[in-house]
Amino acid sequence: MTATAHMTAPSLQQLAPTIVPKVKDGDLATAQLGALVLGAALIGGAWATGGERFYFSYLVGYMGVLGICLGALFFTMVQHITRAGWGICVRRLAENIMGALPLMALLFVPIYVGFDHLFHHWVHPDPNDHLVAGKSAWLNKNFFVARIVIYFAIWIAMAFFFRRASLQQDENGDPAVSLRLSRVAAPGLLLFALSVTFAAFDWIMSLDPHWFSTIFGLTYFAGAYMAFFAFTILMAKWLGKRGYLRGAITVEHYHDLGKLMFAFVVFWTYTNFSQYMLIWYANLPEETRWFADRAEGGWGAIGTLLVFGHFFIPFGFLMSRHVKRNGVTLSIGAILLLVVHCFDMQFLILPTAGSHEQGPAEHGAGHVANAAEAVETGIARFTHDFGTYLHGVHWADFGCFVGLFFVLVGATLWNVRRANLVPLRDPRLAEALHFQNF
Amino acid sequence: MTAILVVDEPENPLRRAALVEGKNDFASVTNIIAGVAEKRTPKGWYLMFGCAIALLLNLGAMIGYLVFNGIGVWGNNIPVGWGWPIVNFVFWIGIGHAGTLISAILFLFRQKWRTSINRASEAMTIFAVMAAGIFPAIHVGRIWVIYWVFPLPNQMSLWPNFKSPLLWDVFAVSTYFTISALFWFVGLIPDLATFRDRAMKAGRTVAAKAYGVFAFGWHGSNRHWIHYEKAYLILAALSTPLVLSVHSIVSFDFAVSLLPGWHTTIFPPYFVAGAIFSGFGMVITLMVPARQWLGLHELITLNHLDNIAKILLLTGTMVGYAYGMEFFIAWYSGVEYEQFCFINRATGPYWWAYWIMVTCNVVSPQFFWIRSIRRNPMALFVISIFVNIGMWFERFVITVSSLNRDFMPSSWGYFSPTLIDVLTYVGSFGLFFTFFLLFCRFLPILAISEVKGVMPEANPHHGGHHGASNGGHH
Repeated sequence: MTATAHMTAPSLQQLAPTIVPKVKDGDLATAQLGALVLGAALIGGAWATGGERFYFSYLVGYMGVLGICLGALFFTMVQHITRAGWGICVRRLAENIMGALPLMALLFVPIYVGFDHLFHHWVHPDPNDHLVAGKSAWLNKNFFVARIVIYFAIWIAMAFFFRRASLQQDENGDPAVSLRLSRVAAPGLLLFALSVTFAAFDWIMSLDPHWFSTIFGLTYFAGAYMAFFAFTILMAKWLGKRGYLRGAITVEHYHDLGKLMFAFVVFWTYTNFSQYMLIWYANLPEETRWFADRAEGGWGAIGTLLVFGHFFIPFGFLMSRHVKRNGVTLSIGAILLLVVHCFDMQFLILPTAGSHEQGPAEHGAGHVANAAEAVETGIARFTHDFGTYLHGVHWADFGCFVGLFFVLVGATLWNVRRANLVPLRDPRLAEALHFQNF
Repeated sequence: MTAILVVDEPENPLRRAALVEGKNDFASVTNIIAGVAEKRTPKGWYLMFGCAIALLLNLGAMIGYLVFNGIGVWGNNIPVGWGWPIVNFVFWIGIGHAGTLISAILFLFRQKWRTSINRASEAMTIFAVMAAGIFPAIHVGRIWVIYWVFPLPNQMSLWPNFKSPLLWDVFAVSTYFTISALFWFVGLIPDLATFRDRAMKAGRTVAAKAYGVFAFGWHGSNRHWIHYEKAYLILAALSTPLVLSVHSIVSFDFAVSLLPGWHTTIFPPYFVAGAIFSGFGMVITLMVPARQWLGLHELITLNHLDNIAKILLLTGTMVGYAYGMEFFIAWYSGVEYEQFCFINRATGPYWWAYWIMVTCNVVSPQFFWIRSIRRNPMALFVISIFVNIGMWFERFVITVSSLNRDFMPSSWGYFSPTLIDVLTYVGSFGLFFTFFLLFCRFLPILAISEVKGVMPEANPHHGGHHGASNGGHH
């Protein structure tokens, strides 16, 4: 029975003739155009009103939305390497999302333009700063730019390779394609892990070149992958409303996507807790400085907001099976998580922008007599800090994220309209269509 | 190896490979697994059990000697205040991670192949955690007041330090042990009932009574199964965070300190990856011979070994990623102590330990890129031994090489273990193997009911017409 080459997979037509295989000609074109125009308008507006601050706002949005595309690439490769059967139809959506990576490379241009502002701590270092000088072998502009090219070359090549092979399988129905992709996914994931880690080091961690954390690449990935699930759930739900993917992505698949989103809410918390707790505990000034910056200027309120909004609230909310199997509640969870993902990116990036006024230190609330008083003091401090945050925040800090989000929606729709909605002849398509949770 | 009964087919994405090979049905699966415990005890078992008991007695002697003389009998001394005991503790607790990963996380991921290895791995987990627990307990010196590690109200108003990760260890490890043991036991109940019924039929009344006590009156009714499956799912969900939390907390023992080489933020996930790596290494070390000697080829197939090898490759590479990140950030940080620590690890007095660690943990699993090696039980066994060695050395490198060169060169020193250190460590294998051999002899070493659940006969659509490629519902 070595006849895999002679056998072809049954097609969607045979398995489930009622499922719409492709977007109707011209349909969704308005939505696609609308998303792109809205996105471009928001980014343009941010650029026009932001001044030098714009580059930091843009980086917030960019790292947030890039993470969604990278999550899609990761999801696709994991589906292949694990020979997963349940997620075949979701995988096509992920392939369409990661198809936006070439556009993301183009959208890196504003960061390159704002390079001197963003990375001025190491581009124009204090001449007496021997620490930064010691890192010049890594943190110099030429090597930095070379690395940008390398990262995007890896990501675009992998996204192109996996998407094209999957689309070809729609035509030829050759099961050997699935075997080949599962083999390539293994070295692909290795390259992915290294490139995403160093991209996170380069584009976020090096904003403050003094600070370092070995887990940082993992923390960025954890949040990004969670955001990918949130984005995918919303895209699939929206396409479902328009009459597509019905019967292909069912409540069973949403349930699984919800579980994975929940899992990465927890994993994000795990990595961030590990980072924060260990740095807090050892209390070494070269490490705590980074968090000290994030206790000033109102950022303490955002830290608190992340603890609740990125962990406690979604943890409690998404725990229930019913919430994950209900379209409305699952979408609410996904939207909430995308919003806190934006706050997370702000928390990582903006405190180094230095545009927040350094108010007088608010620490040392004094002796707290009891729990009720502690809560009261905590709420008072949060309200005060959040006021400071609102005073310093620019609308573009959200505008760029939302703008790039809509650009990604437009780019995804562009791909969705040109490809089949599900892998028509994937050998495990039947499994995906009949999939049920226990 | 001889007597490989299964055909090594190339993979076909159009259908799922059978998890149970050969011409087996429900009855033959029961016969194979129950047969292991019902047959006459093989001579080889007595031999191995004798060795294990001898080592266990040696462990007892070493602990007795330690309690009478104090921990000065070990090599621990300033600057290396934490020597082999902590290394052995982390080594064993790491091994105890595969069982729960297989039973909980692979269960939630619907990895049905786990059914033929989960039982023995869970048993291995429990025995490894027992071996692990000994070392910190005897390290306290005055073992007769070991209960002080628990926050018990007392007339002296003395409390353990809640800020200490060593106390968190007490909670983490004891929780882990409890949940793992419960999970293992709950899974055993239907199989113990099978053993009870077979013993009864064969007229072995004592055995039937003994199995019967632990089978809790199970008779496989619908209601029993509904409760059983609910309990199993809940225990799986409870165990999942424990897989991550226990070794994360063990890593905190090191990482909350100020010490270069210990204090680094990647430690928690790095330790978890290493624990799973070492646990799966030990699963291979135990299951390859068991599969061979007990004739389990049709239940633990080459596909199973292939999957475990892939997990070893994945986690070994993750550990390599962590080594790489530590080195890169040590340089990038610009902190001279960090830089010194890592250069010292690779080129200092313990360079040999460092390179044993890297070779065994990062290089040796890379052979698993090759399919024929993943499917060669002998090769797997050999590499798994390297993994076991490498993971012990990893803990040795972390513990000793960070301590032996203090911030002040005047207090540098070279650590050497004493004979007591070595014999205590060897003795812990006696404890582990004594229990494991008893388990192999008297209990169902594969989960009979779960293996049946992944056979095609268990599918309600079996034999009917249900789609062109009805390869099972994954």
